Amino acid sequence: MSPLGAFFTYAALGVWAFVCLFPLYWIFVTSFKLPIHVNDGPVYVPFVDFTPSLHAWEYIFVDLRNDTLRPYLNSVVVALASTCLSLLVGSLAAYALTRVTYRVSLGAVGLFLALLAATVVAVVLAGVPWWLAAAVAIALLVLLLRALAGRFRRHLGNDDILFWMISNRILPPVVAVLPIYMMFQKVGLLDTHLALILTYAAVNLPIVVWLMRDFFATIPYEIEESAQIDGAGRFRIVATIILPLARAGLAATFLLVLILAWNEYLLALFLSTADAQTMPLLVAGQNATRGPQWWYMSVLIVLMVAPVVALAIALQRYIAKGFLVGAVKG
Amino acid sequence: MRGRQFASMLLATTAALSLAGAAGEASAQARKHEGVTVNIMTFTGPQIAEPLQRRAPDFEKATGAKINVITVPFSDLYQKLLTDWATGTNAIDAAVFAPQWMVDYVAAGLLEDLTDRVAKDTALQVDDIAPFFREFSQQYGGRTYLITLDGDFQMVYYRKDHFQAAGLKAPETWDDYIAAAKALHGKDLNGDGQPDYGSCIAKKRNAQSYWMISSIAGAFLQSKGTSQGGFFDTRTMKPLYNNEAFGKALDVYLETTKYGPPDEINLDVGDTRALFTTGRCALTLDWGDIGTLAIDTTTSKVVDKVGSVILPGSREVLNRDTGKLEPCNPTLCPYAVNGVNHAPFAAFGGWSGGINKKAPAKVKDAAYDFISYMSQPAQSNVDVTIGRTGFNPYRISQFKNLELWIKAGMSEAAARDYLGAIEASLASPNMMLDLRIPKNQQYQQVVLDTALARLLAKEIDKAAAMRAIERGWEEITEEVGRDKQLAAYKASIGAK
Amino acid sequence: MSSHREPSALGRFLERHADQILIWPAVLLLLAFSIFPTIASATLALSRLDLAPGGFTLTFVGLRNFQRLLFGSQQDHLLGTMAPLGPLATGLWLAAAGLVLVGIARYVVRNLGREPLALVVGLFGRVLAALLFLALLALVLSTNAPGGFPGSLVTTLVYVLGGVSIQFLLGLGLALLVARPIKGRRFFRVVFFLPLMVTPVGIAYGFRMLADTGKGPLAPIWQAFGLEEFAWAADPWAARIVVMIGDTWQWTPFMFLVLLAALETQPKDQVEAAWLDGAGPWQVFRFVTWPAIAPVAATVVLIRLIEAFKIIDLPNVLTNGGPGFATESLTLHAFIAWRTQDLGGSAAVGYILLFVAVVTCTSFVNFLAKRARGP
Repeated sequence: MSPLGAFFTYAALGVWAFVCLFPLYWIFVTSFKLPIHVNDGPVYVPFVDFTPSLHAWEYIFVDLRNDTLRPYLNSVVVALASTCLSLLVGSLAAYALTRVTYRVSLGAVGLFLALLAATVVAVVLAGVPWWLAAAVAIALLVLLLRALAGRFRRHLGNDDILFWMISNRILPPVVAVLPIYMMFQKVGLLDTHLALILTYAAVNLPIVVWLMRDFFATIPYEIEESAQIDGAGRFRIVATIILPLARAGLAATFLLVLILAWNEYLLALFLSTADAQTMPLLVAGQNATRGPQWWYMSVLIVLMVAPVVALAIALQRYIAKGFLVGAVKG
Repeated sequence: MRGRQFASMLLATTAALSLAGAAGEASAQARKHEGVTVNIMTFTGPQIAEPLQRRAPDFEKATGAKINVITVPFSDLYQKLLTDWATGTNAIDAAVFAPQWMVDYVAAGLLEDLTDRVAKDTALQVDDIAPFFREFSQQYGGRTYLITLDGDFQMVYYRKDHFQAAGLKAPETWDDYIAAAKALHGKDLNGDGQPDYGSCIAKKRNAQSYWMISSIAGAFLQSKGTSQGGFFDTRTMKPLYNNEAFGKALDVYLETTKYGPPDEINLDVGDTRALFTTGRCALTLDWGDIGTLAIDTTTSKVVDKVGSVILPGSREVLNRDTGKLEPCNPTLCPYAVNGVNHAPFAAFGGWSGGINKKAPAKVKDAAYDFISYMSQPAQSNVDVTIGRTGFNPYRISQFKNLELWIKAGMSEAAARDYLGAIEASLASPNMMLDLRIPKNQQYQQVVLDTALARLLAKEIDKAAAMRAIERGWEEITEEVGRDKQLAAYKASIGAK
Repeated sequence: MSSHREPSALGRFLERHADQILIWPAVLLLLAFSIFPTIASATLALSRLDLAPGGFTLTFVGLRNFQRLLFGSQQDHLLGTMAPLGPLATGLWLAAAGLVLVGIARYVVRNLGREPLALVVGLFGRVLAALLFLALLALVLSTNAPGGFPGSLVTTLVYVLGGVSIQFLLGLGLALLVARPIKGRRFFRVVFFLPLMVTPVGIAYGFRMLADTGKGPLAPIWQAFGLEEFAWAADPWAARIVVMIGDTWQWTPFMFLVLLAALETQPKDQVEAAWLDGAGPWQVFRFVTWPAIAPVAATVVLIRLIEAFKIIDLPNVLTNGGPGFATESLTLHAFIAWRTQDLGGSAAVGYILLFVAVVTCTSFVNFLAKRARGP
């Protein structure tokens, strides 16, 4: 690299690093400010142009105590569990979609949709109990599937399955949140960790599938083929060869999905009441009738960012390696 | 200030201890609500939630009922409560919310009728609650569903020091308000060498702007008492927001923008409060909160420099028979003071406690006792003087008793002034009630709010804004049913 | 790999059906969370919700909610206020229409020999995408003409197209820089990733502090330029740009992270061979690097497109959608309707968003991503 090139490279990187860090710095110092420091115009450096105060930290940790700690623990449990679940389920599906050619008969899809429509009509118009209608529909689906599916030649392929999966993420959560609420109400799981874990696992699944598919696709087939010749089964290959090779991709995806689950607001608002409330609710709550309570909010944001940063630094070894370093050696 | 606040806290604790002591004797027998847990929901504090949380342990000591205060963000409280109650989840037993929402909850049959309990409850001293809150805010269709914990209505606050220096008097009419804003705009009001603003009003979209405009419009639209109503004609349910009188109110609203901060269009009430208490505005329009915020030395630079006054009025009002703006006369403005018609606006209505109808009977009893306990003078009279509780005065004893406020850190003159403005507002027979009919959110937060936002953004002009409001309101009225809405409107304001 | 590997009956069963067992958990989980919500929200979009004794009632109103949004009293809100097109805009639109027609004609000519059903399906998709594209283009042009005001749909498109392309270019540029052998790569990698970790509501509030021209950290800069009386929040485009700056801050790291990973998997020897052949930096990028990272690039852009259509926290916190409707996104529009008891209207907005986003994403996948992935 020429000296000039190096200068511009570092200048650009330096500028962007500043852009990334400054807002975080600002939030961090705001957590030590008194309201008057915030309302009165900018002060930048603690001890230099204002005397930092722990009042906001005191409020969050002493006054609120359990009202901070409980959501914090909930967030940890929900985010970790849902991320692991969706990573497991999603990786398997992503792997399958790169290695297996699926042919979904249009007839089967049509049958499924027709039965679904019939179920809805039966429940809404004829007042059949929903579980009965669903059971009948599933039975019919199983019975008719083989008979019907063979008759149609047209098929949907892997790309269509993939697109169907990602399309589940398009509908804004505002529209889906009440139905999901009612589903969990029916099964009595509102305000539990399980409800949030399942929901987050489902909403983040498409992202896992899409990202992991790209990572799996770059792993050469030859590695598997040699294992197959040795007589290793599919699951064995996935567990002992593929997943370890894709660990960098898994780490990156894990982090992304964890962040999405950790930060989710709207679904958490509705699916939790008292016991399962998570941190984003607390952050959003700091804007009330008095205007945003910047100092409390900043403390909460710092609290929320800290563990993810720690995790990112821990995982960055994997992410940094790139996705295929291991594969080439393997 | 810290010390004084501490003193009031101490007072609160003493009161609570004495109650606990009294109950301690009783607990030799079983305590009244032993083993009952009440889930009570409100928004994430510190305001409102803080006093509930602070007093819950004392209440538990006295009665045995465990009070579980659950909070959600302010903006989602309405939906959260409605979803929990209307879908039959019923995880929440009671809530502290805005009386404006009562109409929806009552229509859906979700709120417990408290009329009989209140009648039997001597400790509540319901007669001490100002008549407006007792008769309108707590009630719907003649039945009591809520207990007021906080008095909400809007007033105008001004910088007494600069008004005196400039030889201005407290604004009596909206014209006075504009003249004063104009005179003080661009002056340095807080001594930092920077020019400051004449008037700061929260005009942000989806925030409080629709209450602000109603506070201004009330003076021009409602003159014959609370039961006349300030939003619709009680004969036809036609909106009052497309005529000369409302046009005048919009003129005032737009004119104040000229003397406001450049980004006033993006300020919510939290922002205007911060501006006013740091001395950057000469005038502001707000709820009672400014009174206690202005004496909080940790945030305020205007301690003892603030005057408060009933919402300015107008010498001309809408004559509903002619549809024209006409000068006040004894028949048109029976409640005018010095020929000026005031219509103090009970925007939002004040945080109040209500109980889920589907809660178990024992829980309802405990919830009622807790809400009543919070409202009883021993507790309430302390809490309303503390800024961070978010509770504003609503009991007669609270604005008759100067001692409370001097203890809290107000000078005697400021306390007299603040309580005088409150009393003048609450005593007014022409107080204007907030809109409490089905779909009120759509009338106000959607139609009115977007019309105002577009007017301020210069996307549409005044006439188009008024047309948009009328069209939008009529559409909702037609959709729900004109007769149904008219009946609801009349019930809400107690019109015959 | 010897004796203990003798599979049990269960093991044999699992192996035999491995292809199915791998994918079904994912499909079932997604179905569980999509069937009922889709049906229920579609029902809501066609109904009006009223509170009534015992909870609420749903009244079927047909397409009323959509009619009101597209043609009725909410048209200004969703589509915007349309103004007549000037000559330049008209010319632009006609040129676009011509290009689209040519494209479709070319598709027909090239595929005449194919199975008729495939041709019809392909043609239908293309015509639908073309019509939507032309309609949206007309809408964007006419709401931005003098006297016009964009509604939430147009604003969302601005956020999506503007935001995603800026984020992609920035992310790619940063990834290319960090992929070079420079000192402090680990530092930059972690630092550039940080913004993604902040909760979106937190980012929105953070930017509200930063963008405050009176009390924010940049206030002295504003004052130095004599701009303290300029309120970005009162100017439609300034407000939109502030929203997009926040969005870019938050999401560039996502692009950066994944593109960097893709760059680093690229075999080094190819690049070196190209250098040795005397290719310039641009040629190396165009013919060696880009083809290698294009599939991943297509995926990140698709994921970002979908997320960008749902932007809500930034406009909601920064401006609440103001001034006027200037910064209101479709999701915020749906959210406001939902918060004010208009659940039918909210679901209808959601479905309009779904339609536009699905057609956009399908077009992206079919016309760009497939090409990027290669045959």
